[in-house]
Amino acid sequence: PSEKLDLDAWKKVMKSGLQEEVSETVSERKDLSTLAAAREILEMWRLAGRSVPENISEEQLKTFMECPSKSAKKKYLKYLHLKELYKKNDKRKMDEKRERRLETQKQPSETDETKRSSFICLWASSMDKAYNWRVAQSMIFGQPLIFDMSYEKDMSVREVANTVRQIVLSESCNRRSVDPFHIHFCNFNDDSLYHKEFIKHYKEAWGKLLITVTDQCYTDVFPKDKLIYLTADSPKVMKTFDHDKIYIIGSMVDRSIKTGVSLARAKRLGLETAALPLEKYLLWNSGAKNLTLDQMMHILLTLKDTGDWKKALEFVPKRKYCGFVNRP
Amino acid sequence: NVQPPEKPLQAEEWNRLRESFQSPEVFEEVMFNSMVRCNSSIDVAKSLLTHVAKSNGDIAYHLLVKYLALCVQQGQTSEIRDVYDIMKIRFRILESGAYNLLIRGMSNSDQWRMALTLLEEVKKVTTPSRTNYESCIKAASRHQEMNLAFELYHEMLAKDLVPTLDVLQAFFEFSRGMKGAELQKELFGILLYLRDNQIYPHKTFMQSIKLWFESIPGGNWRGQLTNIKDSGQCPVCNHQLEDGDLTEEEYNNLKERIIRDVIHGTDTFRKTSPQEFEAFQTFVENRLPFDIVIDGLNVSHIKPRRMQCENLFDAVNCLAKGNARLLVLGRKHMLINSSNWKREIMKEMQNKADFFFAENISEDDAFLLYATLRSGKHCKFVTRDFLRDHKACLSDSLTRHLFRKWQRGHQIVFSPSAEGRHINFLPAFNYDCVVQTTGDTWHIPYKDSFEEKYSYRVPRKWLCIQQK
Repeated sequence: PSEKLDLDAWKKVMKSGLQEEVSETVSERKDLSTLAAAREILEMWRLAGRSVPENISEEQLKTFMECPSKSAKKKYLKYLHLKELYKKNDKRKMDEKRERRLETQKQPSETDETKRSSFICLWASSMDKAYNWRVAQSMIFGQPLIFDMSYEKDMSVREVANTVRQIVLSESCNRRSVDPFHIHFCNFNDDSLYHKEFIKHYKEAWGKLLITVTDQCYTDVFPKDKLIYLTADSPKVMKTFDHDKIYIIGSMVDRSIKTGVSLARAKRLGLETAALPLEKYLLWNSGAKNLTLDQMMHILLTLKDTGDWKKALEFVPKRKYCGFVNRP
Repeated sequence: NVQPPEKPLQAEEWNRLRESFQSPEVFEEVMFNSMVRCNSSIDVAKSLLTHVAKSNGDIAYHLLVKYLALCVQQGQTSEIRDVYDIMKIRFRILESGAYNLLIRGMSNSDQWRMALTLLEEVKKVTTPSRTNYESCIKAASRHQEMNLAFELYHEMLAKDLVPTLDVLQAFFEFSRGMKGAELQKELFGILLYLRDNQIYPHKTFMQSIKLWFESIPGGNWRGQLTNIKDSGQCPVCNHQLEDGDLTEEEYNNLKERIIRDVIHGTDTFRKTSPQEFEAFQTFVENRLPFDIVIDGLNVSHIKPRRMQCENLFDAVNCLAKGNARLLVLGRKHMLINSSNWKREIMKEMQNKADFFFAENISEDDAFLLYATLRSGKHCKFVTRDFLRDHKACLSDSLTRHLFRKWQRGHQIVFSPSAEGRHINFLPAFNYDCVVQTTGDTWHIPYKDSFEEKYSYRVPRKWLCIQQK
């Protein structure tokens, strides 16, 4: 026979030993600043198991309080929470890696034979030199590719940050390619949010990038009849990649799907437009037809080198299509 | 997934269960979730809490909240109070999840006034949610404290919270048979709120309204369900319903906003181009006024198996009766002879109606709205499109309501039941489908079910209330 259970025993535990704290809380409550109060609420949300970051900076807390609605606040916190999680995971992996490296170093070094190789060990810096040489060549002889930096007012701060990130990725894959484009940033203003974000990513390397940055419009730099504006809204579908044309990519991330913004720009300037032949080659599954800037870069580079649509469109995310169209 | 035990368990038994669970660190959480789902007895939950408290010396906040959810679910008032007291001792402030539960729990009990205190507490840190208000309002009206209920109601409206239909219904439900001019005014106010926001009550809500009217002591109100004739006359009281016309000022306002927000928007080039819009304006000015403006492409798809230009031809013929001046909007590609667009038929149609062909990449809907509004109040338009995306371009809700009202009165839609060869159209409403009153009558349109699938669908059933 089991002993009698005291079902309310937990209440006693919860109430005991906390009496001294009670008197403390009453006096303290009055002089809470709004920031501290917000911090306290966040702590409670965290205890309640919501997606809230463990640590939050003063600046983030202010952004949080400026969110216009409850759902905006929730979204922002979730974003911070995930960011924190990724960071933590990365750190853990780094630590593990370091430990593993230390472990292998402890073991007696391998025989000298492996070291006596007939190949020169190519370090990252020499690779960089080779890449830079190629991009420098492309700046003189290469085909231009334009990023139109005039969409800042159409985007939120976060969208601008995403855009810049995608351009940084594009630039790096261009640099590594066999025959890079000569990248132009047109309509670029030095006091823009774009600029601020680029500095964040590149730091001092920003001034040494082998690209052309200008506040001029592409129509002032190149002859109009050479320009083709790439936009998913274009009624014209691109058939082949033309090595004599200059393609323009709109530097915009639109999470809210603003249709026709870049098409409107091209119409205003009277430029030719084109969309990728996604429907023609892919069995489209779901998702918007607009691709990220780095995907565009991969596709254009592949087209330039091979002219092979199938190979180029491999860079469309797999979740968006369920296969390639079979042609007879 | 775990099944909660039937009876309270001893510490060792909980331990054993916990160890057999695949991820012991979340065992309590999963167990509480499952208790809430299975509506387990609170004694079982208490035994788990006791076990946790004894082995950890503390109970995590989220477990307390889950236990609270279980107590609220079962209406265990004294237990809810205990948990609240414990939380207040243990934590400086509570978050909204706990407050939601506490307010809901207390408002359903005989200590419902406690919910009001809790509401005040929430107000100190944040704006209470509309469900917080809902609980309190319902509790107050359930106890016939209508003044208090209305005070809370106005407070929530002032905070831009949108009341649920449930709350509004509760006011009518619990005011039944009560006397008082002030109360009557408040309830009429709710009906006018429905009118202003173009909300249609559902059937049971409508019943509550009817019963309330009929219960007003000495009011002599009588309600009857009916269908309004196409002419806009109520068959019960022979009263003519309001027409859907906008006032001169509203009309001009709407016209300006359509041009500004829908056609130009952030960039005129997105939907058309300045040259094209100007050309269109001149075209319209030279031929004004039209009686009916037709979205040519939209109408041409009415019957999928037929040639597109034949569909359009039928529609034009059908609408051209009675010398109506027609304008058909199309795109340039319709002029190119193709399998769907035969040149001869297009030619013939152009004798019967004016045509404007926009660029293939322009949006003809924007032109449709402009031409109709420019032609004047009598002008109607034809499209099966619900124009929701255009309504969404308008920046404030007042203009959106004007747009909806104008749309109800001016849109001719294709009749869906037309099986035969000929195309039929449902005429636009002659009367406005909205809650309305003349003082001694009320007419209230209602939906059949609560489930509102299509917000643009206008109900055809009405409640007619008249004072004898």
